[in-house]
Amino acid sequence: MGYSRRNMLGLGAGVVAASALAACGSSGGDAGGEISTEAVKLRFTWWGSDARHKRTQQAIDLFTKKYPNITVSGEFKEWNGYWDSLATTVAANDAPDIIQMDELYLASYAQRGALLDLGTAAKHLKTDAVDAAALDTGKVDGKQYAVPTGVAAYSIVANTTVLDQYKIALPDDATWTWDDLKKIGLEVSKASGGKVTGVQSWGFETGGVNIWARQAGAALYDDAGKVAIPPAVLADYWQYLLDLAKQGIAPAPSVTVERAGAPLDQSGTATNTSAFGTWWNTQLTSLATASGQKLKLLKVPGNGQPASAEAPYLKPSMFWSVSSRSKHPAEAALFVDFLLNTTEAGDVLQTDRGLPSNSTVRTAVTAKLGETDKAASDYLGSLKVGAAPRVTPNGASGIEAILKRHTEEVLFERQTPQAAAEAFIKELQTEIDAAK
Amino acid sequence: MSAIGELQRLSAAKGSPPRKRDNKAAFLFLLPWFAGLVLITAGPVAASLLLGFTDYNLLQPPEFNGLENWTRMLGDERLHQSLLVTFKYVLISVPLQLAAALGLAMLLDRGLRGLSFYRSAFYLPSLLGSSVAIAVLWRQIFGAEGLLNQLLDLFGIQGRGWISDPDTALSTLIVLNVWTFGAPMVIFLAGLRQIPAMYYEAASVDGAGRFTQFRKITLPLLSPIIFFNLVLQIIHAFQSFTQAFVVSAGTGGPSDSTLFYTLYLYQRGFNNFDMGYASALAWLLLLIIAAFTAVNFWAAKKWVFYDD
Repeated sequence: MGYSRRNMLGLGAGVVAASALAACGSSGGDAGGEISTEAVKLRFTWWGSDARHKRTQQAIDLFTKKYPNITVSGEFKEWNGYWDSLATTVAANDAPDIIQMDELYLASYAQRGALLDLGTAAKHLKTDAVDAAALDTGKVDGKQYAVPTGVAAYSIVANTTVLDQYKIALPDDATWTWDDLKKIGLEVSKASGGKVTGVQSWGFETGGVNIWARQAGAALYDDAGKVAIPPAVLADYWQYLLDLAKQGIAPAPSVTVERAGAPLDQSGTATNTSAFGTWWNTQLTSLATASGQKLKLLKVPGNGQPASAEAPYLKPSMFWSVSSRSKHPAEAALFVDFLLNTTEAGDVLQTDRGLPSNSTVRTAVTAKLGETDKAASDYLGSLKVGAAPRVTPNGASGIEAILKRHTEEVLFERQTPQAAAEAFIKELQTEIDAAK
Repeated sequence: MSAIGELQRLSAAKGSPPRKRDNKAAFLFLLPWFAGLVLITAGPVAASLLLGFTDYNLLQPPEFNGLENWTRMLGDERLHQSLLVTFKYVLISVPLQLAAALGLAMLLDRGLRGLSFYRSAFYLPSLLGSSVAIAVLWRQIFGAEGLLNQLLDLFGIQGRGWISDPDTALSTLIVLNVWTFGAPMVIFLAGLRQIPAMYYEAASVDGAGRFTQFRKITLPLLSPIIFFNLVLQIIHAFQSFTQAFVVSAGTGGPSDSTLFYTLYLYQRGFNNFDMGYASALAWLLLLIIAAFTAVNFWAAKKWVFYDD
């Protein structure tokens, strides 16, 4: 829950900023220049859990030990509040120097000139150890506005303790289909008498819909950034989710909606009340900690079509980016370089921001991983991945809210899947058009 | 013989003209407040009026776009949904809240022992009602596995996720608003104390029952207070934000059933970087509230009775 009084005060602040904004200047420093030997203060902002805050602070300490003239102050928040406050600080010309960025918002900030083209800071920030395909996910209009911290892939998390308890065999995830998931999910729901549902419903984030579209040989957006998913594919998706709810394979819609809005440790997977759930593979460790039972990563079911094989993709977990108005772009780039490319930082940060995108760091880190982190790492290795989807276009950063609302409309049967699909596409396209 | 009448008398009364030296000191003391008013309130308000005619995404300088924001409102389905939700909320919760406030005030006015305790106890919710803590509590009470459902379960009734079901989510927020009847109740209580007991005595001598007394004496003499509360609570209800924001985690969901106007405005401004449009929406809200208040004042002539 990210609400604070600051949000509403921000409303005023944003408006005040407007009057002063006409004079928004260019960046104060030179990204390609020498690293200053005088005292430099950097501000660094990220979202995340307590565990991340601790790890990140350790990494900061290591950096400042190495460069004693540079101080880095961390500003961290919870996901929802993070974007509210980032929008207002950027508007007020008071953006932090180093910004943890998400794929959803990357284009929105980059195309509005808020982020530094990291290509201009190549002298201090090396990216050659990062896989080219992963690096491309941080490009907008051909410029490297962000560097991925790590990668994650969509997966099914299965609770094998529950399956054992009801003597249900673990499906073969190399060949299974969505119909198989339905069948086995129904078995679980029946065997438990409704205490445990077979599947935890989804449909509130972009991972699920991306995979579904790719399996059908389609994509959420085309290269030009227009919404390209065919209404029929989207309607199938929602029909499937509706079937899960109606047949008792997933919980009742109101329970599903409530869980979707709750933190990870209150989810069906974490509370051992759903046998199968869709998650990013890197969430396994947090889920296993909360659940206390045996969880296993499975490949996402296919739909029998050939495109299914290439449907998995590596999602950049998140990015490092630098504010275009930073007074110390060179030092900020140096700091990002430290986080990205040194095993010192990698040892501390581990897989918290995805499996490290830098291959050297990744090798060094995986050798020291715990059981679940290792399982997450092995899962990535077992996948055959296609090219990553296009970065979310400018204006579409609100897609998850739109998606969530239409999933609710379908689950509560206020709209047919077909009508919801058409309405969703129209609304998302309108948002994209409005941002141009 | 009423709070408003009292105010009018006070403002009409003319004291002796103050000396100039006092004036200076007064202005000096007013300065911090005045600076705050200009810098924190009036300035941004004026800026938002201008921004209402621009395309402004928070990150780039605003661009003038004429009436585009205003014509866009006509075709904005989510705006229409938010208006529908807000009107429903205002038109249902305010009368219920005032009825509860008046009912309780009349009960307390009958000279209970420990009146001040009850008065405080009933007033407390209106201090807490718009707080984040209460909204979080509400989510716990009306959740699928919340207190209410556990209670219903004792009687063998199968509850539902009151807050996560679009059919009932708004009702839980209406209940929350009704529950904050304490503020109008205290004002009613003060008003009831102003009605001379002799009217009721005379009425009972004439054989009027309780209900007739209420209709013929209490209501007319209390009407200025009712009017005052009505205007205040309508304005207050239109501006409701926190409850819906917290209960729906900022989404106005499920399926936009709790999308208050202010919440939609907030989403446009901060989630969609659509500050120009959001500014125009803020001014539309001002116009709507002004219109409601104007209609209220106009209608007041027909039913509000000032006895002086």
